Amino acid sequence: MSRNLVELIRRHHGLDAPSALDVLKEAMEQRGEITDADRRAAAERSGLPEAAVYGVSTFYDDLLAPRGARHVRVCTGTACFAASGDEHVDALRESLGLELGERDADGSVSLAETVCLGFCHSAPAVRVTDGERDVIDAGPDAVARVLAGAPQAAGEPAWSSTLAEPVLTRPGDWSGLARVLADGVTPEALLDEVKAAEIRGRGGAGFPAGVKWGFARAAAGEEKFIVANGDEGDPGSYIDKYLMERNPALLLEGMALAAHAVGAAHGFVLVRSEYPRSKPALEEAAAQARAAGWLGERFDVTIVEGAGSYVVGEETALLACLEGLRGTVSARPPFPAQEGLYGRPTVVNNVETLCNVPFVAVHGAAAYHALSPDSETAGSKLVCFNERFARPGVYEVPFGVSMGRLCEELAGGLRDGRAIKGVQIGGPLGGILPAERLDTLFDFDALAAEGCMLGHGGILAFDDATSMRDVARHLLRFGAHESCGKCFPCRIGLRRAHAMFAADAPPVERGRLEELLETLELGSLCAHGGGMPAPIRSLLRWWPDELGLAT
Amino acid sequence: MSAPALTVTVDGAAVEVPAGATVLDAARAAGRWVPTLCFDERQAPFGACRACLVGVEGAPAPLPACTTPCRDGMAIDTEDPAGRRVANAVVELVLSELPQAPGPDTELARVARRLGVGAPRWPGEQHAPEPADARHPYLAFQHELCISCGRCVRACDEVQGTFALTATGRGFHANVVAGLDEGFRASACVSCGACADTCPTDAITEVSLLALTATGSTNGGPS
Amino acid sequence: MTDDRSASTVTTTCGYCGVGCRLEAHTLDGGIASISPALDGPANEGHTCLKGRFAHRFARHRERLTTPLIREERRGPLRPASWDEAIERIAAELTRIRSAHGHDAIAGLASSRATNEDCYAMQRLMRAAIGTNNIDNCSRVCHSPTSYAMRKALGLSGATGSFSDFDHADAAILIGANPTDAHPVAGARIKQATLRGMRLVTIDPRRIELSDYGVLHLAPRPGTNAAVMLGIAHVLERDGFVDRDFVAARTEGFDELAALLPAYAPEAVEAISGVPAADVERAARIYGEAQEACVSWGLGVTEHKYGSEVVQLICNVALMTGKIGRRGSALLPLRGQNNVQGSSDMGALPDTFTGYQSVGDEQVARRFEAVYGRPIPREKGLTIPQMFDAAVAGELKAMYIFGEDVAQTDPDTAHVVHALESLEFLVCQDIFETETTKYADVILPASSFLEKSGTFTNAERRIQLVAPAIEPPGDAKTDFEIIKLVSAALGHELPWETPADAMVEIAALTPDFAGVTHARLGRGGLQWPVAADGADAPILYEQEFTRPGGKAHFAALPYKVPGDAADEEFPLILVTGRRLQHYNAGTMTRRTGNVELLDADVLEIHPDDAARLWISEGDRISVRSRVGRIELPAHVTDRIEPGHVFTTFHFPETRTNLLVGASADVNTSCPEYKVVAVDVRPLGEEPARVPALA
Repeated sequence: MSRNLVELIRRHHGLDAPSALDVLKEAMEQRGEITDADRRAAAERSGLPEAAVYGVSTFYDDLLAPRGARHVRVCTGTACFAASGDEHVDALRESLGLELGERDADGSVSLAETVCLGFCHSAPAVRVTDGERDVIDAGPDAVARVLAGAPQAAGEPAWSSTLAEPVLTRPGDWSGLARVLADGVTPEALLDEVKAAEIRGRGGAGFPAGVKWGFARAAAGEEKFIVANGDEGDPGSYIDKYLMERNPALLLEGMALAAHAVGAAHGFVLVRSEYPRSKPALEEAAAQARAAGWLGERFDVTIVEGAGSYVVGEETALLACLEGLRGTVSARPPFPAQEGLYGRPTVVNNVETLCNVPFVAVHGAAAYHALSPDSETAGSKLVCFNERFARPGVYEVPFGVSMGRLCEELAGGLRDGRAIKGVQIGGPLGGILPAERLDTLFDFDALAAEGCMLGHGGILAFDDATSMRDVARHLLRFGAHESCGKCFPCRIGLRRAHAMFAADAPPVERGRLEELLETLELGSLCAHGGGMPAPIRSLLRWWPDELGLAT
Repeated sequence: MSAPALTVTVDGAAVEVPAGATVLDAARAAGRWVPTLCFDERQAPFGACRACLVGVEGAPAPLPACTTPCRDGMAIDTEDPAGRRVANAVVELVLSELPQAPGPDTELARVARRLGVGAPRWPGEQHAPEPADARHPYLAFQHELCISCGRCVRACDEVQGTFALTATGRGFHANVVAGLDEGFRASACVSCGACADTCPTDAITEVSLLALTATGSTNGGPS
Repeated sequence: MTDDRSASTVTTTCGYCGVGCRLEAHTLDGGIASISPALDGPANEGHTCLKGRFAHRFARHRERLTTPLIREERRGPLRPASWDEAIERIAAELTRIRSAHGHDAIAGLASSRATNEDCYAMQRLMRAAIGTNNIDNCSRVCHSPTSYAMRKALGLSGATGSFSDFDHADAAILIGANPTDAHPVAGARIKQATLRGMRLVTIDPRRIELSDYGVLHLAPRPGTNAAVMLGIAHVLERDGFVDRDFVAARTEGFDELAALLPAYAPEAVEAISGVPAADVERAARIYGEAQEACVSWGLGVTEHKYGSEVVQLICNVALMTGKIGRRGSALLPLRGQNNVQGSSDMGALPDTFTGYQSVGDEQVARRFEAVYGRPIPREKGLTIPQMFDAAVAGELKAMYIFGEDVAQTDPDTAHVVHALESLEFLVCQDIFETETTKYADVILPASSFLEKSGTFTNAERRIQLVAPAIEPPGDAKTDFEIIKLVSAALGHELPWETPADAMVEIAALTPDFAGVTHARLGRGGLQWPVAADGADAPILYEQEFTRPGGKAHFAALPYKVPGDAADEEFPLILVTGRRLQHYNAGTMTRRTGNVELLDADVLEIHPDDAARLWISEGDRISVRSRVGRIELPAHVTDRIEPGHVFTTFHFPETRTNLLVGASADVNTSCPEYKVVAVDVRPLGEEPARVPALA
């Protein structure tokens, strides 16, 4: 992170200036493209130097693909791939006569890819923006409807809880904050309770939230921030989407409680732009909360929409995006808890993590631990299943249940009599379990022992018709495309790895691949490049014969 | 009242460093070489190249020396085998993205020689060669040689304070441009040359030195 | 970043501005292949600007003087001559003039671009070989007020600290300077400090680049700096920021100043200067509240009728608050030329020897006479403006000028030209033909900073080594050699083989340089005063001031109106200054690629004034002052206040200094380049057709 650019932005932010990203997005939305005049205007209004604005304008997916009057965005995420390979993408390309990222000559229609829209439960998904209308259609006939000019808004996924008393699927009602305020619970006391509850980050890293809050509380400085990471970029994951759109009050309450414990007066939610319904839902909930007095003087929030970048889910890249900079990862230390948004101490927590806090505020740490009696991990977890399953949707489950129970009993196994070939857990950087290993418990350590991860809790099945070599290529393409470009192993290494699995590539030399995976795992600056080896190693372990390895 | 100095060992030798020093600072103070590509002592550490991984006792994996702060009593191994494997791999990957070998006097070439990394064994995509941009009287861009180490951008930011350069694009196609990709002259550039001074591959170099580049290739500027 | 593409690398010191970047000159085949900044340069720390880095090709430009030239008759052509012939001619003429008209009929002008040893040699030539104190250097026209004022207030003529003091300051005031243009590496350092939180107040009629990074900008009318500084002092005193203990123990004269301050309440200052009273208050508080604070200034302070008084008022503010003599609290005048500090330190001045020891001081004079073996006059010699007046009056008959283009850079060009034409004999020693050499009878081809050995002293009082990277071209010689030859021809052998030998003599004669030797300077230089054991002085006045009694002196000097003022006939005020890409007369930079980056002087004018005068961007306009007229293109910008215009003097074709009159600093004769009343209009318009101006 450039301290100087952050300082320049901070000085202008204090004057209520928009971020450069805001201005560029506005231009893109209004005119479907970005010109140098727009960049100069963004520099002028945001205080960011012109060159830096140029760099921002060439980083984010939403700013790169030119938009026609009708802008078609096809999802190329893993759930959509698991559902229909590349067929849905090819169908649109061929029928529209456009490559991904192209706009036709008279500007009437454009095609772009997007990852991921969060409709993994009814993949494949396609988003069509036509003037004011912005529709996400999903399902086997979505492409046909889009091509016919009649996209239909897809239905939202089902949700339920297997707990005796739902926690995360229970509508937020501000009772946690109410209790804290009414009982005069001090910030230190709340912090201690959260630490005792051992809430582990739900976004993938699993870092104890209370510990993170403690660092921020102890950091020097009056001005502190709470940032909710709503950039749920993992294809196959739509948990935060559910929370932000159907339970926004719970999230806002969690943020307000975090603010109380840490000593922050303002919060931000970074919402991915691929979830167009999330920001309105959150703003509505915030307005209601203000009216009721839960938000306002003491703590208030700003909802900010992202601009299309997976890596922005990494906390330092996320802060850069909020500041309107390129979403690249920064080396740590300094950690955001010391030096975060605008250089101030900042807590960055995943949306789901924050949604766990109100329960602790009401019921206490012991009750929170008791939610998962078969596990050392406290609290409950939301999981979600992709379209291949018979009963996809969002489910609240305790930790320590077996993967098999989740996949077969809860989600009903695969539809149409298909068999599970492999299950990728936690996102595209998660390991893949073969069917015979579904006895593995759904828990941090148990999954790690199998080269998998809990990640964000998305459970994505590949059926028996899937080529695992195609999976390798798909995952590596995603990885290379989303690389922020800063660190060398990821920037170049993922490109090389992807090329090894190209359709016309020579047989894969396993030794070279293993070396490259080691370089990525040990050398990458963040968990993007660092995590990519995990699923590839799963593929090498369980399906070596499908990968086209050299003998 | 400044914080007290720390004592660490580097390859077995004790060395004292000021509070706040990084592992790389300690290695340099001990006179031990750690390969770096994105490091410049005039700039804050960046952590992009990952060539500086070293072993630290007690750490499960090698750590990047330039961004890891020293702790009192730390034991550092600058030739940790895994760290060096990564360094070699990184240099090889970087060489593989350039359409021709870097000039023998460039920092990249010198690091590669010292690590014993020869011609890269990676076929596949490279940066597309283009004619050198020498519209400025002194500073020339050879974009295909850019390895996105960020040093030029940071020189223009942290040393000169003009902010005329930026990283552009994402992933493999990341590169560096001046202003709104308008060349040095039309941008805010004040021609201080700090970028050319720090560039490890001659992606930015002096126009007058283009002719002296002894790569034996036809690419890159006036003869 | 050393480059193996060169045959060798020489570390030297830049010859452009007073920052004094240490540079690595990489040579190949007898020429400079490239230059890079030295990582361990104390002033530049691995950085430099486009001039130091790239603008070195002038050294091999085809217009370089490579042979002595003689002009047989006034306004006649120049012809090449041998060194022997040229030197003989000089010796013969100067000797003749001296016999006929006396020692003081000859004057010398030392180059502030040349080394300390060159300047020392020149002043010894003038004093010992010729027998006159008529020697001056171009600090006369830039920081002579600083020198005068700081010696008066504090004791020594130089910055009290170093550039690195900005790194330790919580606040700073920058007045009458634009370092991102004129001292780029210092400007970059200041900018980084502001981004780290140093609170900068800029004071300048224009909004300079650093104003965008500072917390407050004051735009006083040109010529009203004194009122602003007195206003700040008023608020500091009123609001309890005076360090009473410091004032009592280490200063004198505070009561007289205190008696003056009531007249400079912020409202009164606003009436004089146009700076809002609230801003005067704020500026004072920012400075007063800071733990450590620096004040830095440039020619926007000194090149005024009362410039030397304003510098004293600046010293007042630091003395009142005790923000001096500590790291982070320094007074830092931004000396312009690479060796303007040194040329004065070396005694190339009419009233002082080396180290500002007075020529009238009997003890000192005797010491110098003993070493030189010649009598030296006790009366002060002529300053540069006095030299021109004396030439016009027929009293001064000959001048020996090296490394300065007075016909382009000195004020009142018409008067300067008249003076040069009035001389019987003019010797110019330079690297190119200039506006001044047009009037020379003998021209000697000299060396650039890349071709000589010696030392420069930068704005931090840091004496740094200069080492030759290449040879002077053709038959050109180093200035040091040439002065030795001339002196010898005049009958006074200068007894040094090398510049290092000259420095031995300088050290012996100057207590402040007692421990200076080339060997000791090493890579980091030494900041004078340097004790005999080599200990140098990064921070001055830690314990005491070098004035009699050890105390600093407050100056109770009221505001007085500048020498020129806008009136009906000349309604705008012109300020002159520099741009990044060129250096002063542009002698060097105009012969490099820099000309591609900036190739003309333009007049900056505010949109309101431009509209009123029917001037659009790029129009060629005429600018007329009480003494002259020029034409140049207009640049419309709102970084300047209405009522002011700004231009540079880098291109001889523009002849900017035709406009500048005789008004000068009352104590030092530094010309008032910064307040020139002018009339501006599109070309071709008759006065009668110009609408009445508000």
